[in-house]
Parts: sequence; C-alpha cells; structure tokens
Amino acid sequence: MVSLLATELLKLKRAKMFLVSVVGAAAAPIMVFIGYLDMKSRMPDEPATFAKAFGETNLYVLLLIGSLLYGVITAYLFNREYAEDTLKNLLTIPVSRISLIVSKMVLLYLWIMVLTMFAWGLILLLGLIVGYEGLSADVLLESLTEFCIGGSLLFLLSTPTIFITLLFKNYVPTIIFSAVVVMGNVALANREYKALFPWSAVHVIAEHAFVPEYPPFYSYIAIAATSIAGMVATIVYFTRVDIH
Amino acid sequence: MEAVIRTTHLTKRYGTQKAVDNLQMNVYQGQIYGFLGQNGAGKTTTIRMLLGLIQPTEGQIEIFGESLLKNKKEILRRTGSIVEFSGFYENLTARENLHINTRLRGIHKQNAVEEVLEIVGLQDETKKTVGKYSLGMKQRLGIARAILHHPELLILDEPTNGLDPIGIKEIRRLIKALAEERKITILVSSHILSEIEQLADHIGVIHQGKLLEEISFEELHRRNRKYLEFQVSNDNKATMLLEKDWGIYDYEVHDGGHIRVYSHFGEQAKLNRFFVERGLEVSKIRMSEDRLEDYFVKRIGGGTIG
Repeated sequence: MVSLLATELLKLKRAKMFLVSVVGAAAAPIMVFIGYLDMKSRMPDEPATFAKAFGETNLYVLLLIGSLLYGVITAYLFNREYAEDTLKNLLTIPVSRISLIVSKMVLLYLWIMVLTMFAWGLILLLGLIVGYEGLSADVLLESLTEFCIGGSLLFLLSTPTIFITLLFKNYVPTIIFSAVVVMGNVALANREYKALFPWSAVHVIAEHAFVPEYPPFYSYIAIAATSIAGMVATIVYFTRVDIH
Repeated sequence: MEAVIRTTHLTKRYGTQKAVDNLQMNVYQGQIYGFLGQNGAGKTTTIRMLLGLIQPTEGQIEIFGESLLKNKKEILRRTGSIVEFSGFYENLTARENLHINTRLRGIHKQNAVEEVLEIVGLQDETKKTVGKYSLGMKQRLGIARAILHHPELLILDEPTNGLDPIGIKEIRRLIKALAEERKITILVSSHILSEIEQLADHIGVIHQGKLLEEISFEELHRRNRKYLEFQVSNDNKATMLLEKDWGIYDYEVHDGGHIRVYSHFGEQAKLNRFFVERGLEVSKIRMSEDRLEDYFVKRIGGGTIG
C-alpha cells in the first residue's frame, strides 16, 4: 500500500491539475475577501471578524466550490488510468483492484485536506493583512476543526463520484453529477431538508447548523448511507469489470 | 515439451456473439508463437483473458502449468506484456514511468531501469516527458517496461501497430534478441502475415474467434514449398527422365499429368525444351507464387489476411 501511494504521488509530478486545484481552492477565500472589501466601501464602520470570514468561506467551500472541485479531482485521479491507458499495465503487474482504489482514495483525502488547509490559511493571511477582528486561539481551533470535518465528510461522499467515473470512464458524467450536487445544495440551503441531502448535510454537521425537524442522526445516516452505497457499488463494479 | 500457455475450451461471449470460441491454444517453452488473425478475429480478447484483464465466459487458462484463475498473482509476476498501444503517464519521463513498475514489482536492482532503457535504445532520453515521445519510442518503452522484471513469458499484442517501417524493424529486432538472449517464451499477435512470418517459429491462426490451426513455420513451409509445375502428356516417362538425366528426385505427380518439381527454379525453359526434345508434349508450365498467403486465405474461407 505504501508503494502504491508513493507511485500515486509520483504520478502527480509536473501534473498541472494540482496547481489548477489550488487556484480553485483559493476561489472561496478570495470571494469572501472581495465581499469584505465591498462591505467596507459601503459600510466602513461595520466590523469584519475572523469567525464570520471562516464561517462564510466554509459555507462556500462545502456547498459550492468544494463539491465541484473535489468531484473534478476525483474524476481526474480515477479516470486518468483509463484516459492514459495505464490501467492494464497496473493490473498486469499485478496490482489488486481494491488496493488501487484504496490508494487513490488515500491520495484524494490528502489532496482534499491540503486544499482545505490552503483555503483556511488563505483566509487567515488575508484577514491578517486587512485586519479582521476577533482573532483568538478558540476561533482558529474551532474554524480549523470545522474545515477539517467538512473536508473529511466531503471526502466520504466522493464514493458515488468514484463509481460514476469508473462506470462511464469519462470526465463529463462526473462533472454533470457534481454540478447536480451543487444545484441540490443551493436549492436546499435555506430549507430544513438540507439536513437530509448528504452533500448539504456536510455543512450542517461541520457548522453545527442542525434543524429542529431533523435531528443530527438523520444527517449522519444520510452521509454514511451514501458513502457506503458508493463504496460498495465501486468495489463490486471495479473488481468484476472487464478491462478493454 | 512443457506448455507455457494452454487454454481449454476458452470462450468469451458478449450477449449472443462469441468473440472467442472454444479456443485450444498451446504455446511451448522457448517458442516465438505468432498469433495471426484479421482485425476483430479475437486476438486481443484472447490476450486480455490470458492476462486476467477479461474474465472468460467458459474454459480454462493454464500458464506455467498453473490455473490463471487460482494463481493469477504469481503467474503475472513471471509475465511481461504489451496490450495494443502502451499507455504511460505522459507528464513523467521514461525513467519515472519505469520507476512506478520497479516500485510496484518490488525490483530492488539498482540499475534495472537503466539496463532496459539501454536495451531499447532510450537511455539518452533523460529529460523528455513521455508525452513528447513518438509512437515508436513509446512502443520501445513498452517493451522496456515489459522486460523490466526479467519475465519468462512475454505477451505482445500487435507491438508493431502504427509504426513506420524502421520502427517495425527495430521492434522485430528487439523481440528476436529477447528470445535468443534471454530465452523468453513469446506470444506475439499481428494481423500481418509477413510480420509474423519474419518473427515467429510457430503460428496460431484465429478467425471469427476460432483457432483454425496451430503449426510450426517449418511444417508450414514444408507444406507450402515453392515449385515448378509442368503438365505433360506422359508423367511416367517425364519423371523417369527427370531422375535419370537431371538427378531430380524431389517432385510430386498429381492428376492430369501435373508434375511438381521442388528445385531447379529458373530452369523451367531448359526443362521444357528437354521434355519436348524427348517427345513429350508440355501443355502448361507454372511457377507457384507466394503460397503461404493463399494458404491462409483458403483456411479462413476467403477474404484477405495481412
């Protein structure tokens, strides 16, 4: 497994995708920062706090850019073996199909967490530059925890995306699926059903934004069921499919 | 002799269509086995089944005397392969691509990568990423990757596909050298008869999923030897004269006064005059053409091959 993970990392050498994803991950902090500049130009006396900036950024990351960006990264990692016709080499080494999936998932998790940390760090940096208020160890720790929980839960929800990528062996269906997920997030953002839709439930859990109608248990179950179903479908499909 | 590859009733069905139909293949130790068939005949499906990439619908595969189903991991460790075009991570160099295989195969030999790059003549391409390689260079790198772990069996699916004549010659030279120097058993597929003829010592012909024939080239050439054919008025007298005056014993007599002489090519005019001067009527003289291709065309029931 260590060798597989090491080779997965080697495959990213000179790959532009990592840089592109970093640019993508910068979008949310920059959007929040632009919002701050706009607010300051209209209401100069209104205070801007770190807690609010972290909260808004995490909202954008989890409901919008993260769902889409992590979907694209998932498609890139899992589809490239088909796109570059390297899968048949790996499987005739032989590498076990399940090990291959697991190593790519570990890399995906690391990648998501690096981008999560980058987004968090960028907010902190921009906040320090322009002087957001309310910086404290508690705010930093709490926001970091929320970012990490959100990133980890979005990772768990990558299994249906992996399945779609392997099933269609193409980036397009995965991107459409991710776009539909984002649309669902947006549609449910202000409804109580956000606690039930797995991808919006991630934000509900990470930010403790539970709704009275549906206790936390429902959100956890929605995410766990989706993740497990995606994983089972992925493993059953990929271990049986003929490689053409 | 020990069979390195043996398939029994190997079948792959897609819906009602049989891509491979009851294939009984035998590849023996040390052979270069040419797997010949038209495009779509079932070569690649067979090869993918031999490598465990496709599950057979029916039948068994034994490699090195072991069942592929039960000992896939061990068998693939002793096997190298190229399936159609060699795929590589295009953002990596040749060395980096090969390092992926050394790492995953657990090859600890220090200069293993350099050694195979030298064999295929890519040792100087250190900085170029594989995305900038020509098709020929990629196929050579594919061979380097296939032999990195010193396999006992090489399975090469159309390794010269899409290459220019110089590239084809280079790959052919490499395959022959590997067979001679490393004593590797090689299964190589192609849809080009002349390609297989120049490379293989044994041949298996597949058509519409069925293995029509497995034969050595020696036997094949014996069956399809070049000859001069004369149609004469008296075949008994003609053969007697051939033996007595020309010392020709390598001939066959066929119906209708046809005599096939397997030597003295280019001397048909002299032989004709000889027969006429001795009172024989010669109504036809013919030299056989490239019969190997005709033979295969006949075997597959028309159409073209190669």
